Amino acid sequence: MKESREERLGWALAFPALGIVALIAVFPMLWTLWESLHLDDLRMPWLGRPFVGWGNYVEVTSDARFWNALGRTTLFAVVTVALELGAGLVLALLLDRIVRARGIVRTIVILPWAIPTVVAALVWRFIFESPGGLATAALAEVGVAAPTWFADELAAWVPLVLADVWKTTPFVALLLLAGLQNIDRSLYEAADVDGAGPWQQFINITLPLLKPAVLVAALFRALDAFRVFDVVFVMTGGGPGTATETVAMYTFSTLLQHLRFGYGSALSVIAFVLAFALALFGLRVFGAGALRSRDA
Amino acid sequence: MTSALRSLVALGALIQVLGCSAGPAVLTFSGSSVGREGDVITRQLERFARVHPEITVELRPTPDAADQRHQLFVQWLNARAPDPDVLQLDVVWTPEFAAARWIADLNRFHPPTDSFFATAIAANRWSGALYSLPWFIDVGMLYRRTDLVPRAPEDLQTLVRLAKDAQREHGVPFGFVWQGARYEGLVTVFLEHLGAFGGAILDDAGRVVVDSAAAERALGFMRDTIYADAIVPPAVLTWQEEQTRLAFESGQAVFMRNWPYAYTLLDDTSQSRVTGRFAVTSMPPAQGGKATAALGGSALAINAFSEQPDAAYALIDYLLRPEQMLERARIAGQYPTRPALYESAALADALTIPVDQALEVIQRATPRPITPVYSQLSDILQISIHRVLTRQQEPGPALREAAAAMRALLARAGLAARTS
Repeated sequence: MKESREERLGWALAFPALGIVALIAVFPMLWTLWESLHLDDLRMPWLGRPFVGWGNYVEVTSDARFWNALGRTTLFAVVTVALELGAGLVLALLLDRIVRARGIVRTIVILPWAIPTVVAALVWRFIFESPGGLATAALAEVGVAAPTWFADELAAWVPLVLADVWKTTPFVALLLLAGLQNIDRSLYEAADVDGAGPWQQFINITLPLLKPAVLVAALFRALDAFRVFDVVFVMTGGGPGTATETVAMYTFSTLLQHLRFGYGSALSVIAFVLAFALALFGLRVFGAGALRSRDA
Repeated sequence: MTSALRSLVALGALIQVLGCSAGPAVLTFSGSSVGREGDVITRQLERFARVHPEITVELRPTPDAADQRHQLFVQWLNARAPDPDVLQLDVVWTPEFAAARWIADLNRFHPPTDSFFATAIAANRWSGALYSLPWFIDVGMLYRRTDLVPRAPEDLQTLVRLAKDAQREHGVPFGFVWQGARYEGLVTVFLEHLGAFGGAILDDAGRVVVDSAAAERALGFMRDTIYADAIVPPAVLTWQEEQTRLAFESGQAVFMRNWPYAYTLLDDTSQSRVTGRFAVTSMPPAQGGKATAALGGSALAINAFSEQPDAAYALIDYLLRPEQMLERARIAGQYPTRPALYESAALADALTIPVDQALEVIQRATPRPITPVYSQLSDILQISIHRVLTRQQEPGPALREAAAAMRALLARAGLAARTS
């Protein structure tokens, strides 16, 4: 009896918070879902706002611009996350070894992550501007003719990937550094006694024990990279043509530039479902990984 | 009725009375309000208020970027907001707002349409009715360095040759610069090349004809000036107006396509290195077409939900008077929409550009497609043109793809049947 009263009190106290969560998270999501079942084109108000059921979703299936954006976004996520994990691991190992001026070095390393993405992207855009950008000039110095970066469908990815990797590698390094410092030092001492070299120690001790941290970092980064918007918006605007348009960019332009609220909502819902599935998948892998490392 | 309820009703009535006696309703105007344009409009609104003491006018500032202003107007009008009463519209928005029934039909005010340039008036009509009046016009112009190229090229092929010669003989880095970034400006540049080769985006009946052989030649020509003739630097594919202006101003380009605003700046010795060494003409024609200048500019319209359309029209009528246009030309450098003014000495005094040069280009003015879905059509075109110019696609397939997407859009908008 007493417990249920306490329980009721608990719910009552939590109610305002739950209400706010419902208002700012659940309600907009449900509204977007409802909106995605309508034809609602602010630029064609003469069509009204009829209910079209799954019509918008059916249109997505044959929308080449969306599928291309999805393919590009996936590739971008795979490439940047792989580069960030590699560079982040190297950085974390170095930071772990550094003894002198540790605080200052770590602060410097984390700096790129602290700069707002839009600002960082603008700086990178200036570097790759043609003609007269720093990158173009530097390449000319060593005798290489640089492409017109943002007017080339492949070359345009170089500044994008570089900016993203530069910006978020410190974040990955920080997560991995925490993982490294959780590893029991006595394991390395025992390995030294057994005569294992540094490479063997890295392969057999560091990597397996770092796996949970790597998985967490990969999951966070993959989710972020999949929703990438600001870097692309600032640097290429999705161009040349639509060569660097990501899912988030396409959704943005459909919703906020073309004001196609119904179709744009359908795109948002799809992007949300995909990101959610990725998170669930990551959590399962991550959960299993954590379990195995506990067994070890 | 309880006494509490009774006093509530009384209070309501009182508020209503107070509301009514608060003086004349406020007429709101919304448009460009920064810099020199802001100076002009503030002055003119004050003068209008002095002539019409019964009307209080208020300026409602909006973002200066066209896209952002458009978005704001769409949100306001979609919510049926009764103000702003008078709207400054970009020339390509009128059909969209008219089809949405967001702006009022002006025919009942019997505006003197004959006093304005016919092309400018045409861009303000939708399905037979007039929805806005042209306030000032912008036209795409060909700037050239008169010290390098004394005579204007008679066609595009000559332009290519002259640009190459000047590049080679005088070491000028760029032969020709224009706005090639993926945005609205690219469509206006394309329109001028398209007209030069005798093509069009939509035909007179509103059907999509941008996949014609002429259009293919025009787009192929644009691409070749970049990669084959090498007179246009690939960097223009990321440039808007200002980057091209800076290149021309610093003496790095032989020819430039730009709007009239650049003239005043190029004429300013404190920042320009080409003062006194440049002139403007219209973009030259090529085989099969005619010299074409993209038409830009602004129009004035009345919010369809306005509670005081008569006062709103009085303001429009005032802002469009010759003396107001002359003041606007003098301070903001914007061209009047009344052809009669181009014969007056007052306009020659007001503009830095020689009036005959301006008029020559204005007479070539060609509006962009007059359709309520123009912005969406433009977006489709921007992508396809940019793909061709960055060598991702050939002109033929790109234009056929764009045309198919445009036809699908017109069908979805319910405009394909109406216009056939």
